[in-house]
Amino acid sequence: MSASAQIVVKDVSHDYRPPVGRVVRALEDVSLSIREREFIALLGPSGCGKSTLLYLIGGFLRIENGRICVDGRAVTAPGPDRGVVFQHFALFPWKTVKGNVLYGLERGKLPRAERETRAQAFIDLVGLTGFEDSYPSQLSGGMKQRTAIARTLAFDPQILLMDEPFGALDAQTRSLMQTELLDIWQKTRKTVIFVTHDVQEAVYLAERVAVMTARPGRIKTIVDTAFDKNDPQIYRARTFVDKVDEIWGLVREEAIKAQGTHAR
Amino acid sequence: MAHVTGVRDRTSRGWRNAPASPFVARIGWGLARSASIVLLLAGWEILARSGTFTPFVLPALTSVLERILADAMSGDLFLGASATLYRALTGFLIAAVGGISLGMAMTRSIGIRWFFDPIISVGFPMPKIAFLPVVILWLGLYDVSKISMVAFEAIFPVVTATIVGIKGVDREIIWSARNMGASNRELLCQIMLPAAFPQIMTGLQVALPISLIVAIVTEMLMGGNGLGGGMMSASRFADSPGVFAGIVEIAAIGYCLIKGMSMLRRRMLLWHQEALEPSTV
Repeated sequence: MSASAQIVVKDVSHDYRPPVGRVVRALEDVSLSIREREFIALLGPSGCGKSTLLYLIGGFLRIENGRICVDGRAVTAPGPDRGVVFQHFALFPWKTVKGNVLYGLERGKLPRAERETRAQAFIDLVGLTGFEDSYPSQLSGGMKQRTAIARTLAFDPQILLMDEPFGALDAQTRSLMQTELLDIWQKTRKTVIFVTHDVQEAVYLAERVAVMTARPGRIKTIVDTAFDKNDPQIYRARTFVDKVDEIWGLVREEAIKAQGTHAR
Repeated sequence: MAHVTGVRDRTSRGWRNAPASPFVARIGWGLARSASIVLLLAGWEILARSGTFTPFVLPALTSVLERILADAMSGDLFLGASATLYRALTGFLIAAVGGISLGMAMTRSIGIRWFFDPIISVGFPMPKIAFLPVVILWLGLYDVSKISMVAFEAIFPVVTATIVGIKGVDREIIWSARNMGASNRELLCQIMLPAAFPQIMTGLQVALPISLIVAIVTEMLMGGNGLGGGMMSASRFADSPGVFAGIVEIAAIGYCLIKGMSMLRRRMLLWHQEALEPSTV
């Protein structure tokens, strides 16, 4: 596995230091290997440090203990090889949909005309044709998230880091976006790390689900969840339901533990 | 019960009969909103004509308007207003450019923040007009000292608004720009500045009337024509309509400046959530 591992997280611990109050250990001795073109979900109760792990891989937070390597190089800063889709979209509100998508391309070497075509292609891909000149404040939550996904895909990162990207969406939009994401993933074959606290979403989308413990976050176990992504009825399959139940059981233990520590 | 229903019916019919044309409706709203000003001016005219006060104490509005018209025809109004506006707006521009630059520098560099933070904290609430005698000693009585006073007073709200705006930029927005390879410089100019712009604009909207106020006060204290200087000399010559004309002119100019600024804001912040909502100013 190590031969084809693209992302290696080794013995990473991370402390969260709030401006006031005591230091909280968010992650403890996390180790994880992710293959190229793999779709892996990080699942765990809220506050277990799954987003922290994602942002460490993204290079946004300083790695204090342990090592994270991407393609054999240690992560020290953010880079366009690892594209992030944020939970709250993080669009630039003063730029139009097209301006947002173009921003990541402006630092590349593409000539202007090609950047335009490329931006348009990704706007079309996420189904926002006709909204190129809209500002984010004029869009619905689902459309904002599509813009964010188009923006990240447009600069062609090898790795997609997604932080509960569908958490803010309603159930219908969410289900549509999941299918769309799988479609995009199958077309572009990128490595995807997908943070979520929704068990069904994790099992449906990912090939492997890494279940994390309550704070301080560790990898509790990794479950294989490679189902046929093209089967629209997969939700009803016995094997799928059993897998969801199994993982739900694991997460539930941790959620109860997490509540216990909150109550104390 | 029947009475209540009756009232509701009448109200709803009233709405249905309301002017259908949006243009007429807008004029109507404009009049309704400025009704208090119209009432105040009408009260002024009636009180002045009633003979309660001598025309020296309270000249009639019409005679004040006549004076403004005469000043406008002779060119005095233009000269006075342009002198005042030149001082106020030059000082405002210096405060805007200096304030935004200083605010940005203070968020970027710990050293600059360490040096200026206490100065801003002490200086902001302080009446800067207290420095006027010193400024007169250093810079004299002409435009340079007036413009310096305007800039000195107006820079504080711009600096604080810039700092608050830049500090309030969402962490995820900064991260997503860095993710797309933005350098430090690009981050500041392309991301921080536009993201903080609504706040900065609010700071400028506070600084603009301050600029006008300080320009007029310095003119009153140091002379040198302008609207403030004109009012002081009218007062010295016991020219009561001249003094009141100055007040009306200043009010009108101030209103136009504020209105222009909020129109500019709406134009420049088309992307902002507030562009979708009706404006109050």
